[in-house]
Amino acid sequence: MEEVLITCDNLSHVYSGGVVAVKEVNLKIRRGELIGIIGQNGSGKTTLVKHFNGLLKPTYGKVIIKGEETTNKRVQELSRSVGYVFQNPNHQLFAKTVTAELEFGPRNLGLSEEEVHERVEKAIEFFNLDTYRDQHPYRISFPLRKLVGMASIYTMRPDVFILDEPTTGQDNITTRIVYQLIRRLRDEGSTVICVAHDMILLAEVVERMIVMRDSVLIADTDPKTVFSDRKLMSSTHLYPPQITELSHRLKDKNFINTYALSIDEMQKVTDQQLQVKRSK
Amino acid sequence: MMNTKEPIIEFRDVTFYYPISETPALQNINLKIYEGEYVAILGLNGAGKTTLQLCLNGVIPNMIMGELTGDVFIKGLNTRDYPTRELAKIVGMVFDNPEFQLTQTSVAEEVALGLENLGTSPHDMEEIIGEVLQTVGLSGLKDRSPFELSGGQQQRLAIASALAMHPEIFVMDEPTSNVDPVGKEEIIAVAAKLNQEKHMTVILAEHEVEVVAQYADHVIVIDKGKIILDGTPQQVFNQIDVLAKCGLRTPQVTEFFNQINQSKKLGIKELPIKIDEAESLMLNQFEKK
Amino acid sequence: MRGAVLPISMVPGNSVVHKIAPLPKLLWAVGVLIISFSTRNPAILGAMIVLGLFLASISNIWSSFLKVMGILFPIMVIAIFLQSIAPAFPQPWTPIAQLGPFTIYQEGIYSGLTLFERTFSMTIFAMVFIMTTHPSDLFVSLEKIGMPYVINFILTVTLQLIPILQREFATVLSAQKSRGMKGTGFGAVLPSMVPVFVGAIERVQQMSISLESRAFGSTGKKTSYRNVVMGVKDYVIMVVGLLASAVTLYWILVDKSLDWSRTMHFSPTLSVILVITAALIFVTFIVISVSKIIKT
Repeated sequence: MEEVLITCDNLSHVYSGGVVAVKEVNLKIRRGELIGIIGQNGSGKTTLVKHFNGLLKPTYGKVIIKGEETTNKRVQELSRSVGYVFQNPNHQLFAKTVTAELEFGPRNLGLSEEEVHERVEKAIEFFNLDTYRDQHPYRISFPLRKLVGMASIYTMRPDVFILDEPTTGQDNITTRIVYQLIRRLRDEGSTVICVAHDMILLAEVVERMIVMRDSVLIADTDPKTVFSDRKLMSSTHLYPPQITELSHRLKDKNFINTYALSIDEMQKVTDQQLQVKRSK
Repeated sequence: MMNTKEPIIEFRDVTFYYPISETPALQNINLKIYEGEYVAILGLNGAGKTTLQLCLNGVIPNMIMGELTGDVFIKGLNTRDYPTRELAKIVGMVFDNPEFQLTQTSVAEEVALGLENLGTSPHDMEEIIGEVLQTVGLSGLKDRSPFELSGGQQQRLAIASALAMHPEIFVMDEPTSNVDPVGKEEIIAVAAKLNQEKHMTVILAEHEVEVVAQYADHVIVIDKGKIILDGTPQQVFNQIDVLAKCGLRTPQVTEFFNQINQSKKLGIKELPIKIDEAESLMLNQFEKK
Repeated sequence: MRGAVLPISMVPGNSVVHKIAPLPKLLWAVGVLIISFSTRNPAILGAMIVLGLFLASISNIWSSFLKVMGILFPIMVIAIFLQSIAPAFPQPWTPIAQLGPFTIYQEGIYSGLTLFERTFSMTIFAMVFIMTTHPSDLFVSLEKIGMPYVINFILTVTLQLIPILQREFATVLSAQKSRGMKGTGFGAVLPSMVPVFVGAIERVQQMSISLESRAFGSTGKKTSYRNVVMGVKDYVIMVVGLLASAVTLYWILVDKSLDWSRTMHFSPTLSVILVITAALIFVTFIVISVSKIIKT
């Protein structure tokens, strides 16, 4: 088993007005995991992930990041271990050039100039931003700005990346690029946590799903189990990708015997089924 | 699109450059939209969807300067000659960020704003507010602050505010891109209702092709400011290669059928675009064998 | 979080005070303001404080009222300490006690106490007014007596914008902290202002297009959805307020015996207790605020 990076031990969070946003959550997040956190707005998922980098502190229970409790830690210290990419890159970016933007994080970590430079170059390559390095972050398109937002955290080399809605408002091409980048981050040994409504991302990229509803963690399992549980899905107002829905319907009619999360999987399932039928 | 009637919207050779931009945001656009259609506009970010929509109520060229050639006619009116505030009675418009469209201290006042501008009497206003809030499903929230609503509710309020002026054409620029799945569902349902029950012409820019395939009856694909495809969803989504060149995908069921159609040589001429079609086609194709 | 509200905003309610039209209430608040600035008589100021607290208590706004006062009171109260050792008062000063290095003067206590009462009474009335009046009602009323619609509109939008910008600022600050932003204080916070301002400009541009799309700026006759009707009760309250203010003001100007600065005496013990309490309240407040800032 890989090393545990984040532990929530009976975590509850109550806002000042008395609203319980997260209730008794227990979970462990390990190195190299690809996790999706889903739930409606107001389900507590944002409150939960804000504990992962210390933006919020538990009201009850504990959050332990790399062996240390977060309670007395500042966000700035925790940013070495956990990087948080905000949904709206405009909230994150302020520097005059893309390069300067990427330098901000590692400089804050107190790295040497060479080290900063090296990390920035690596990030520019990883996110394919070479053409835009001297441009103003506000002058480039929104999808690219979102990549710069991710890259600005990448240069800090955290163990865990939290991506808040990485594909929302993005078109098909950028969405595909983001999927690839998420997989590559994981291949480099990072843990990636996506807070997302993008069902294709959850079905095709993520390997573990955490479902929040009314402040409670109601499921923590693999995507297939979540997507095949129609009751669970509709109770949180989530709908599977169209292809999964098709497999549901065909399974209901006993045409196939398992669910598919992607088009490729659906093809395999159909092929198997046809072979079974032919051999009969 | 066979139609003998006059189009409600017509673009004639429209080309538009934003100020200080050297590439056109729209290029030689010729387009006809007829009354009662549900039109979906597909395209990547920056392809020209928003620019095209801003031409519909005269924001271009009246509010956003730049270089416009060609003409846009809305119900026969040339948008060059009518300010946006006049066209507001014909074209209602909502944008992608609901919060940027709200200004008032209560839901009712937000809806009233446009009516006040038109000089509607307070008595009529009360009636219209009740009616449009009913349409978008916000009846119980009249006195709430718009800023305490959820994203989906805010967007529906924005829709109600535009609806209050009784437009015939309703334009929505990626109205679901900033809301959660429940909100998305609510907004798409309202858009369908406006089209089906109120018989309004709806023009929607949307990324989610499954939604487009389900509701639209006219699809326009733009890429780099040009119209690449213009037809029924059936026609457009069957052009998988053309869509891919524009960076767009088709509904998942269409893509799936395209793949098995080739690998199994099924010889399907028209790929299904809706899930119901896919389901019955699947059962028909394979149960027979 | 959605639905952020200004710390000082209307507390919805149905009290007698809520039901009074905005203009009579505004008149009272302005009346108190003028009188507060015109007199240093502790009894008159004290009476207005009592009246103000009474109004606050019958309008069911206590919890919000106390929250705001929790911040303003310690700041106002420090006037007693500062004035007692350095009165803003013509010499000569009469020393009455020694507190470490500080000499406490008779005139200082008087001056500090009245200055405190002055700000306190004005603040109470302003709070009661703001917390029981819907801003739109106020703007509509002001429009009726001649304020241009555009100003009304700008005020409304600005009121909505302030809490939103506060929220945006908090988000931006979290984003910067998540990138290891060093230090606190103005220099460190400055970069965070950039996204907030860029966002605000974008918001205003989008808003103007959205408003124009809703016929904003049409040339024809404009109507108003919100309507404020002044009842007989409101006119009575207005007239009473006007008379009361005028009479009090006349009394203050004519009756020189209302100046108690040389006649009112404070015992040294009372003075010392008063000064120390004021200083303690202020210091505690500062310590709490600073520790809150450091913690984040």
